[in-house]
Amino acid sequence: MKKLALPDDILMQIDKPARYIGNEFNSVNKNPADVDIRFAMCFPDVYEVGMSHLGIAILYDMLNKRDDTFCERVYSPWPDLHNLMKERSIPLFALESQDPIKDFDFIGMTLQYEMCYTNILQILDLAGVALETKDRENDDPIVIVGGPCATNPEPIADFVDLVYVGEGENSYPPLLELYKSHKEKGFNRQAFLRDASKIPGIYVPSLYTVTYKESDGTIESFKPIYEDVPATIQRQVVKDMDSSSYPTKMLIPFVRAIQDRVVLEIQRGCIRGCRFCQAGMIYRPNREKSVEVLKEQAKELLASTGHEEISLSSLSSSDYHALGELMDFLIDDCLSEGVNVSLPSLRIDAFSLDVMSKVQDVRKSSITFAPEAGSQRMRNVINKGLTVDDIIGGATLAFKGGWNKVKFYFMLGLPGETDEDMKAIPQLANEVAAAYYDTVPKEQRQGRCQITISTSFFVPKPFTPFQWAPMYEAGEYLRRAKVVNDEMKAQLNQKSLKYNWHHSDVTVLEGVFARGDRRLCPAILDAYKSGCFFDAWGEYFDFDKWLAAFEKNNISIDYYAYRQRDLDEVLPWDFIDCHVSKAFLKREWNNAMNEKVTPNCKMGCSGCGAAIIGSGVCHNAR
Amino acid sequence: MRVRVRFEKNGIMRYVGHLDLMRFFQKAVKRSGLPIRYSEGFNPHQIMSFASPLGVGLTSQGEYMDIDLKEKVDAKAALEALNNNMVEGLEITGFKYLPDDAEKCMSAVTAASYIVTYKDSKDDACYIDNIADLKQKFFDEASSISIIKKTKKGERELDLKPLIYRFNLDIKDGVPVYDFLLSSGSTDNIKPELVVKAFHEFLGLPEFDELSLDIRRIDMFTGEPDNFISLGDIGDEH
Repeated sequence: MKKLALPDDILMQIDKPARYIGNEFNSVNKNPADVDIRFAMCFPDVYEVGMSHLGIAILYDMLNKRDDTFCERVYSPWPDLHNLMKERSIPLFALESQDPIKDFDFIGMTLQYEMCYTNILQILDLAGVALETKDRENDDPIVIVGGPCATNPEPIADFVDLVYVGEGENSYPPLLELYKSHKEKGFNRQAFLRDASKIPGIYVPSLYTVTYKESDGTIESFKPIYEDVPATIQRQVVKDMDSSSYPTKMLIPFVRAIQDRVVLEIQRGCIRGCRFCQAGMIYRPNREKSVEVLKEQAKELLASTGHEEISLSSLSSSDYHALGELMDFLIDDCLSEGVNVSLPSLRIDAFSLDVMSKVQDVRKSSITFAPEAGSQRMRNVINKGLTVDDIIGGATLAFKGGWNKVKFYFMLGLPGETDEDMKAIPQLANEVAAAYYDTVPKEQRQGRCQITISTSFFVPKPFTPFQWAPMYEAGEYLRRAKVVNDEMKAQLNQKSLKYNWHHSDVTVLEGVFARGDRRLCPAILDAYKSGCFFDAWGEYFDFDKWLAAFEKNNISIDYYAYRQRDLDEVLPWDFIDCHVSKAFLKREWNNAMNEKVTPNCKMGCSGCGAAIIGSGVCHNAR
Repeated sequence: MRVRVRFEKNGIMRYVGHLDLMRFFQKAVKRSGLPIRYSEGFNPHQIMSFASPLGVGLTSQGEYMDIDLKEKVDAKAALEALNNNMVEGLEITGFKYLPDDAEKCMSAVTAASYIVTYKDSKDDACYIDNIADLKQKFFDEASSISIIKKTKKGERELDLKPLIYRFNLDIKDGVPVYDFLLSSGSTDNIKPELVVKAFHEFLGLPEFDELSLDIRRIDMFTGEPDNFISLGDIGDEH
């Protein structure tokens, strides 16, 4: 029988013990004695969230294809188990072998959102690995992080040995080879880190030094300590999606994961260029998979997993060149086999409504719009190419087709947003409700239509044209939500409208981390030590503890979140080259201020810089 | 075409709950390529039902699920295809076609047998030298065993005696081992820990912790006392 790291009495008293036993179908098992490298791949959040993540599934498969590497998984132990592990000094273990990860060669963690930073410390703490890179010994695991937040890794610079900037498919092979060669000649941690810094996309925070201006505290210089360490890190981008490594098997968790289905990645990157959207910038250029490859992958994955649902993954599925052919294939080949096709966020038009009516129960399902801003002026500012006519037209078609539920997603606190722009949100929803009553005759109505408005608060992110923009204080966000709420109550069709908004404290914190620098590290460390973790979970988020940690370390929220940055300021992430040039971002910032729309990549090239990659939309026929 | 599948749940799979296990089987059946029948509608689901759920922490060598197939397949090949899609701790041990009039396993269950012992060989119960005699008094010689059973609606008094069809006690390496056959199913579902708890109270032992028990379900039965039939003995392979 497989051994377990946790004793029976612990497993019997914690919530969902199956999170911690491994043994999932399609999980990989190797004899540790047969490999050179043991890699603990960690998603620093609870199992059900982490198991749903496609990026880890790709890397897990890719690393385990190597005979010399055994890649295992780790997720954040839920607080109930966390306390027991601390009490009894049980070291954090990997799911497959149940061995302590302190003895591994690498601990890799993905940074999918800023609010997971304390969970990184939790993982290291439970593992028994020093929290700060400066305190680690020669034999300790190499701590490496990647993922979208690695495009500004500075707030966690003190905690990690290596940062992988970009898509993991490219530089893991040379990194692992380098590690092996260092191990063969007698491993020296510092020598390895120094050599690793020369691998494309690998950033070693401890090899750089930062100075700050006395006048305003902004960065004066950011440079490598040694001459042979590169001053700029090139974000890694997969050139050919068809030939890039993609799993043919995916793990089947016992505990239901958030994504309990086959996830098929149809493309990376987005042609749209919405100015608030980090993913739309850093994953450039847009690269599609061919429809033949996707059909093959869909068939293989459904057969190897037994999932009864398949979903497409991409930033904007409607822009995929052969969506019609792909959907026809999925509907014809999968529906008959008892497999549901769940639809990604599609632009609402005649085509998508036709597809939706084939795979969903129209009466129960809803249609979704993400205009992100209520007024046309504001949508021009953010470069969201969606007009009132698109929305009313799409909704009207849907109402004719039998739908009567509409969901809307908006952001509040966008740069230059006025009260009029906020009021335009419920006004737009009201127009859609009016379209319902105009379109559907009384005798065919099943009660009222239901229009749900959700707003989140805008957080400026690095490598977007809005990276210089100020945020608002928590109270101001709530005032804006109130403006929307009050205006909604003044609408003729207010009984058909419903409004939800998010909490604002966590938004402010996210804003601090997103554009933070390495001076935040001590505050994050103190916050963790004072009990902060699982900050992304409302029930564990404790803003007061964070404020105390900031105060103790002289961190000003004003400085990081609320101020307008100068276009020429040295930003903490300037040393990373995401292939989208700063000149382009500045042009886009100015276009935003002038309410000027920029065409999408298929309509015309705007010279962002990503063409240098030499693939994808930049080089296909436009 | 209804099939009864018998399986074992061993080792670390004891920590996987019933709902999670059901979802595992849906995917395993799908992977195995068996021609399972689906319900109609927008969200078709496999026609599959399980006999009495097994609690987290218990193992079993006699679990059952009924599935509905669109066509007949070779039972041996099907059993092998299913086993190729199991994980360590789950094993398919039977695949039989059910007669048309067979009751669904879920509603058919009337009794279940268990072997129960203590996880800790130093449990208080291990120090009672005359435990076998006391068991005689508690069970064999008693005309009724009255307990208070907690239900959703509150508490009710219940006589355990007629619901315990077999209660044997053995001592292995100084540790009591119970062999039970208990009423099971939708009306009088008696869990083995309930019987041991009552016995502990009779023995005058301090507060009972059901997590101190190692419980293994051996089999499930249908029918009446004196004529119990194993759910696995119904139907045949052709």
